[in-house]
Amino acid sequence: MEYIGEHLGIGKVGNIFVILSFVFALFASVSYFFAAKDNDDSASWKRIARIAFRIHGFAVFGIVCTMFAMLYNHYFEYEYVWHHSNKEMPIRYILSCFWEGQEGSFLLWTFWHVVIGLVLQRTAKKWESPVMATISLVQVFLASMLLGITIFNYHLGSNPFTVLLRDNPDFANIPLLTDFELIDGHKINNYISKIDGRGLNPLLQNYWMTIHPPTLFLGFALTVVPFAYAIAGLWKRDLTEWLKPALPWTFAGVTVLGVGVLMGGAWAYEALSFGGFWAWDPVENASLVPWLTLVGTAHLMLINRNKGQSLFITFGFAILTFILILYSTYLTRSGILGETSVHSFPTAGMSGQLLAYLLCFLIMGIVLLIINWKNFPKQTEEEGLWSREFWMLVGAIVLLVSSFQIIFYTSIPVWNKLFGMNKAPLKEVVKFYNDWQLPFAFITTLLIAVGQFFKYKNTDLKVFFKKIALSFIVSMALTIFMIYILNFTNTYYSILLFSSIFAAVANFDYMIRVLGGKIKKAGASIAHIGFALVLLGALISTSKKDIISKNTSGKDLKGLGETFSNDDNILLTKGDTLNMGKYSVTYIGKRKEGINIYFDVNYFTKDETGKLTKEFSLAPLVQTNPRMGNIAEPDTRHFATYDVYTHVTYADLDFKEPQKDNKDEYDEAKKYTINKGDTIFASNAIVIFDSLSTNLDKTKYQLKDSDIVVLAHLRVLDIEKKYEATPAYIIRKNEIQKEESKVDELGLKFVFSKINTENGKIDISLQEKKSNARDFIVMQAMIFPYINILWIGCIIMAIGTILAIVERLKKVS
Amino acid sequence: MKKIHVLGIIFIAVAIAAILTTLSKPFTSTYASFAEAASETGREFHVVGKLNKDKKQIYEPKVNPNLFTFYMVDNKGAECEVILHKNKPQDFERSEQIVLIGKMQNQVFEASDILMKCPSKYNDGKPTAEK
Repeated sequence: MEYIGEHLGIGKVGNIFVILSFVFALFASVSYFFAAKDNDDSASWKRIARIAFRIHGFAVFGIVCTMFAMLYNHYFEYEYVWHHSNKEMPIRYILSCFWEGQEGSFLLWTFWHVVIGLVLQRTAKKWESPVMATISLVQVFLASMLLGITIFNYHLGSNPFTVLLRDNPDFANIPLLTDFELIDGHKINNYISKIDGRGLNPLLQNYWMTIHPPTLFLGFALTVVPFAYAIAGLWKRDLTEWLKPALPWTFAGVTVLGVGVLMGGAWAYEALSFGGFWAWDPVENASLVPWLTLVGTAHLMLINRNKGQSLFITFGFAILTFILILYSTYLTRSGILGETSVHSFPTAGMSGQLLAYLLCFLIMGIVLLIINWKNFPKQTEEEGLWSREFWMLVGAIVLLVSSFQIIFYTSIPVWNKLFGMNKAPLKEVVKFYNDWQLPFAFITTLLIAVGQFFKYKNTDLKVFFKKIALSFIVSMALTIFMIYILNFTNTYYSILLFSSIFAAVANFDYMIRVLGGKIKKAGASIAHIGFALVLLGALISTSKKDIISKNTSGKDLKGLGETFSNDDNILLTKGDTLNMGKYSVTYIGKRKEGINIYFDVNYFTKDETGKLTKEFSLAPLVQTNPRMGNIAEPDTRHFATYDVYTHVTYADLDFKEPQKDNKDEYDEAKKYTINKGDTIFASNAIVIFDSLSTNLDKTKYQLKDSDIVVLAHLRVLDIEKKYEATPAYIIRKNEIQKEESKVDELGLKFVFSKINTENGKIDISLQEKKSNARDFIVMQAMIFPYINILWIGCIIMAIGTILAIVERLKKVS
Repeated sequence: MKKIHVLGIIFIAVAIAAILTTLSKPFTSTYASFAEAASETGREFHVVGKLNKDKKQIYEPKVNPNLFTFYMVDNKGAECEVILHKNKPQDFERSEQIVLIGKMQNQVFEASDILMKCPSKYNDGKPTAEK
């Protein structure tokens, strides 16, 4: 069969780039290796290596451009393009399509390494060869992820340019690909003219998803630099010189990875529905943990720049951070997380390759550390107890323990696989992590507060206390004030509240009084203030999160189990107003715009007279996606001191014809066959069948003595009240008569239609007034107080670290 | 003893505590079948299974938006009534696999949370002609 209209040429071009990128990464790695050996040939090896790495870089750019061209032109004959995009999708999300899949996100990572490598070629000077040898080797592994070739039955990588849609065995028999027309004796298939892509996951059709992944991957990529420098230091037996040039890179990693992680939080907060910015999800943890150890690395490098102590640990941290990045990659991409995470990648059969990548660099690091063990300078004198370097070391170790706890619990699926267990994280996993991490956060913030007031080597404690006293008193006063206005009751949270405030205040004080307000020099202080504010914002907004949609009616649903108080959802019927927290909330109606259905919800405040004033409207939405399932997106109103978050958890997405003057008409009857004690659900009430009875006032129903009457006693409960309905079943001679019973307040009508003599059950038919079928939504509403402190903290932290980088760069040059 | 050794010992002690909490019963849940969950009522389990589409599902948000009942068949083929104390998830019928988190009580599985795997979300969905 002949397929017409396919664009196979561009795939060949892409594939050539893939092969070039792999071959030249390997070439660069080998030649940089020889260039790094001190012999006569090293200069010429270096020349070759540089060119090889540039060709590798060019090939990576080529892959990126080819991929974009394919996505832009909708070449759905390629599996990757079909899988991750479609024609309706707005073109601004083309970036998200690019990195939605494994291949694209590896490419993004590879791309940043190329950029970093090109910068290092110009700036690393004598370190260029050994550092670039490692980075090139990293590139060999990354480039192999795209190779898509089979060697000895082992499939190496997944190549987006060679995998064609029609080669997918799952689709081999679908008519679109097998139907053909006979033209001049040729079998012709023209599926290209008819096909559309599967489209982008609706969760990723969000502006955060166009900026969060590149930022995060740049952060990931930057961790390779301190790693490569540390390896180079061990290799070249030059254990301290590497610190100076590597330090600005490490700070850059701290900035970018930190911002990237928090951007992920912002995306979760704005676009996902779990009601918060941090859920301790495995994927979130996997990027947080390397950040923590990277921060530890940066601080240890600072100690060594100044004092040359705890050098071995510094190497350990730099290597560990990169290994943790590789481990994160393994966790999120090998498919091992399975059900435990919402946003891990599906398996692409790369598990073994990822493990090889991880083990190669882990072993390399460990072996080099062991070989060099004897070369580390013996520490003649210990760090003084009251020295800055000692407490910085303590801080780094706290970060390490904190990281260890997070990654060990996150790795439960790995332990399951290794040891044949079947454990799962707790439902209350957020509380579990919070409880564990709170003491670490407390110690860390306390160290941040006092750290800079300690001097290197030794500190005069009298002077120290004198200097810190002001910050301590101010922080105490601020904390008491905050506890009062926020109504903080939890002791542990109050302690962390204090230490975070103390960290921010003490660093501000240091910046003003010690550094004389010189912003350029105050990078560290500003970054510390930012970090303290991030923690403060996280603490307040999480611990004082107020779910105002909690069902407060106190209705007891007997027998339905009240073991869980998961009542965060509330039902809003169109037109009704309900009180939620300090607001009165009304559901106005829904409207459709493109693929989105918006649910307009108005928020009012009530004054003393009960008059409602509209404050704002929110429009949470459901993105309809028949292929991949509908996605609900929250809407949040931001105020200076708090956010109001609204999210639709259940709604009818159909638009019914508006009903005319038939409000009093009844809808069609629904029949229920029930036993004594059974429950029927009406749209606005529950109905419990209590008993049958026969003795009644026969005159009321104008009955004769010979008539047999059976009454069904139905208890009807809505949120506020209890009603009674007693439909009657009358046997008069051979005729059956049914006497209906209504609950007018609820618009319900019951008819007792049958007695099943064989099993004692009865048939009840229930009719509801059409006005009962008003449109409704089930929603959640929450208030996050002071969450802006967190975002502001993030920005301040970024500014601080950038200032620190600039200062360090001046020192390097 | 050097200070660095003290730090090392504290580090190891806390790390062991972290390992123990990860591996010990009260701090983890377990993947189990309905039968296993029933043998230890009151303890939290993860039960994986499929929705029984033939049996009735009750979600009456006007009565209680935080209550949804349905029947699920676990991976060993045992069926159990499930009471989910949450809203009915959107697209519930499309789920291919369900993970319930909760406890068994009186022969009913009281779930406090649910995770769903929808076939179309990540890997399924065959190529179709444009409409």
